[in-house]
Amino acid sequence: MTNYILKRLGQGLLTVFLTVSTVFILIRLAPGDPAVSYAGPLATTEQLARVREQFGLDRPVLEQYWIFLQQLFTGNLGTSYSFQAPAMQVVSERMPYTLTLATAAILLTAVVAIPLGVWMARRPDTNRELGVNVLTIAGQSMPDFWTGIMLLTGFAVLIPLFPASGFATWGGLVLPTVTIAILQIALISRMVRREMTANFAAPYLTVARSRGVGGPALTWRYAMGNSAIPVFTALGTRFAAMLNGVVVVEVVFAWPGVGSLIVRALETRDYPLIQATVLLTSLLAVAVQLVIDLAYPLLDPRVRLGKAAAA
Amino acid sequence: MNAQPAATQDYKEPALLEVRDFQVELITDAGIIRAVDSVNFSIHRGETVTIIGESGSGKSTTAMGILRLLPDDLAVLSGTVLIDGVDVVAEPKAIDKVRGRTLALIPQDPMTALSPVHSIGSQLSEAIRIAGAASKDKDAVRARAIRLLEQVHIPTPEVQLKKYPHQLSGGMLQRVLIAIALASEPQLLVADEPTSALDVTVQAGILDLLLELQEQRGIGILMITHDLGVARLISDRIHVMKDGSFVESGDVQQVVEHPATEYTRNLLAAVPVLGPWDETPAGNTQPDAAAAAALTNTGASHD
Amino acid sequence: MSISDTATPAASAAQPSRAPSPSAVTKALVAKAGATRRRNAAKWKLRIGAVCTLVVIIPILLAQVLPLPDANHQDLSARRLAPLMDGHLFGTDQLGRDLLSRVLHGGQVSLTIGILAVVVSGAIGIILGAAAGYFGGWVDTVVSRVLEAQMSLPLLMMLLLVVALFGPSIPVITFVIAIAQWPEVARLTRSMVLVEREKPYVSAARILGLHRIQILIQHIIPNVIKQATLVVLLLLAQAVLLESALSFLGAGPQRPFATWGRIISDGQDYITTSWWMVTLPGLVIVLMVVGVNLLGDGLRDRPRRKKKGA
Repeated sequence: MTNYILKRLGQGLLTVFLTVSTVFILIRLAPGDPAVSYAGPLATTEQLARVREQFGLDRPVLEQYWIFLQQLFTGNLGTSYSFQAPAMQVVSERMPYTLTLATAAILLTAVVAIPLGVWMARRPDTNRELGVNVLTIAGQSMPDFWTGIMLLTGFAVLIPLFPASGFATWGGLVLPTVTIAILQIALISRMVRREMTANFAAPYLTVARSRGVGGPALTWRYAMGNSAIPVFTALGTRFAAMLNGVVVVEVVFAWPGVGSLIVRALETRDYPLIQATVLLTSLLAVAVQLVIDLAYPLLDPRVRLGKAAAA
Repeated sequence: MNAQPAATQDYKEPALLEVRDFQVELITDAGIIRAVDSVNFSIHRGETVTIIGESGSGKSTTAMGILRLLPDDLAVLSGTVLIDGVDVVAEPKAIDKVRGRTLALIPQDPMTALSPVHSIGSQLSEAIRIAGAASKDKDAVRARAIRLLEQVHIPTPEVQLKKYPHQLSGGMLQRVLIAIALASEPQLLVADEPTSALDVTVQAGILDLLLELQEQRGIGILMITHDLGVARLISDRIHVMKDGSFVESGDVQQVVEHPATEYTRNLLAAVPVLGPWDETPAGNTQPDAAAAAALTNTGASHD
Repeated sequence: MSISDTATPAASAAQPSRAPSPSAVTKALVAKAGATRRRNAAKWKLRIGAVCTLVVIIPILLAQVLPLPDANHQDLSARRLAPLMDGHLFGTDQLGRDLLSRVLHGGQVSLTIGILAVVVSGAIGIILGAAAGYFGGWVDTVVSRVLEAQMSLPLLMMLLLVVALFGPSIPVITFVIAIAQWPEVARLTRSMVLVEREKPYVSAARILGLHRIQILIQHIIPNVIKQATLVVLLLLAQAVLLESALSFLGAGPQRPFATWGRIISDGQDYITTSWWMVTLPGLVIVLMVVGVNLLGDGLRDRPRRKKKGA
């Protein structure tokens, strides 16, 4: 078990390292001069040279990479061009907002999608279920930026129930959460339906029914008990992915999280900021993935007790 | 619906299971398939009745149909199935009262018959609570669970209760499933190929156990098998099934020694006989060819 | 439930009577049966899906033929006209461009990118997935590791980064979407090839002395590709959505025409006064993606082989 965790941790850290290295290479491969975007189009050659020297852009790429690695291990990725503050600090300040939004969205998703999926699995292909099924397909087919703008117009402008942007009050959390959740509910509820349908057809369920186990216990204790692992994994993976920035929704709602930060960093070619965002978000995502791995044994005795037959 | 069974033998009490003109029709994408075509039989206390046939003959469908375990949107049942006097075809709800009480199932493949994420103990205790035989008290349920595991000859029952299905062998799991079936003190056991997924040596132990329990409790058993060795060993009567209907019925001795139909003769020749129970295999001179003949005899394969 | 009504108690003889007994299956029962419901659900999904897809795709394909104003033609005197005014079915945008024409021409670009991306990702995915599944060993290890690594990458962020750095041209965006999508195809192909590899016809071909690569290309891939193409529709839907998200964030192609995401992002500023500039292009995306998704679902659920039966 400890070996397993250490292995997963190692893999995760390797992924983070590869990710930031890829970003480093991409940035250096890209056409265009970051010094220009920093100093502005009217800068003189001298000014540009000074900027390059200041950020180490005049040194050979390998040396830059070496410096970058040193920075990586000291946790100091330099100063953000546009914020004039340590890049890591800028990102850390944005992180709680993304975390709040992602947590709210995943909770709403779980609360709605699981009962909905079970409901669908209990009456597959009936007229009612077909209707809901088509709705879930619609839910996964709507571009989130469009859903966001529609909700924003409807419930912040036309009927001013919630604030249109930012996170000044808790009310501001509602619309972005719902926007994210619509897509996630559609995806997760369809997955719950698939898993539950498979488990409803499993031999152990028939055998449980033969010994008089009633409908609710069959659904929740047996079918759900066995669907829980993949469903939990999916929820966890989606949550981890959201920590990488719910970019589109944050932009639409001017949410002060890392998603909108990365868009700004990209627009201004703020390389330290890009690197810091990528580093922190992927570290966090790896941490969440690790928590999911740790939770597996609680849900699945086969993981907890090893696969080998003891008898 | 309380007509007396039309049996040839004299029985003092009504049959545990009385099946008349029982039909199962499956509505599939390929059309409507008559998987079970008006079969008639009955089981009394202490009796073992075997339905034998090759895969696809409809024998498992018969068993599952009687227990109403076929999905309602797949199978259409008709005819009469009286379990302890109650017609479960006419009254679909009635089955809820007999499942896990008077009626229990021993499934085909023990490896997939228990929920993998629940412990043996929790699934056994659940059956005990449903049967209502013991008090709902936690210790009483546990004590009964241990006693049941002892009855099916499982060593160190206290330890096994905490285990999960993947930690036990197929033979052990089948014993656990028999214990779960016994939890309800059933009068009728439906055993759907209880040994076909097990090793030959383990098979013998399981059959031995079933016979022992029958002797102790006078349970009626409906045995579904494709194995004539099994059928011969434990049955009182045999029904040979082919393409959904019985082609031959009768006393075990009579069917085995004087098979009336070609199909039964093929079946007899095709099925190898359990080693430890019969040292002289009965007429399996060309088992492979005969098996092939028996298998190609029918076209139905809707199991 | 009318099961017992239709059951006719036959003469209970000791021997089973051979006269065929009547069927208890009524029309109502057939209509309620799982197989029938599944077939109907698949049928309806296919129908609705086909209608939704065609309603969007046909006008897009005919955009050049239809009598529409030029998509980039600005007419400042006809700014932000509501739908149906002055012959503008979808109205006009803030520069007086005909919205329907913009949506259809932009749709051509979106669709081209989507189809190209699916072709590229399909090709990469099938080749690498098949190689990993068939050869196993180090090939499998490498491909599986790359798949795993990409799963844990912050995808949209990386895509944005690439587009931001290399410019929002059609080849870059196509490539970026293909990179995002190939893992799904590769994983599916790999698992199917793993199953296929063990089948008798493969060993038969090997005994005949065929080369391994020949077996893979001539025998295994044709068997796998039919199932793999089912996911193509779902991938196309994803590709269209991904492209629209990228172009909404400003990482979409500008030439020859702005794509759907960009049109919506442009209209965002005018949402309170000119609802159609966001709503209508969005509905077009939804209609098409819903259609494609429904088609994919319906094709998957459809009964595999229709037999002539009762």
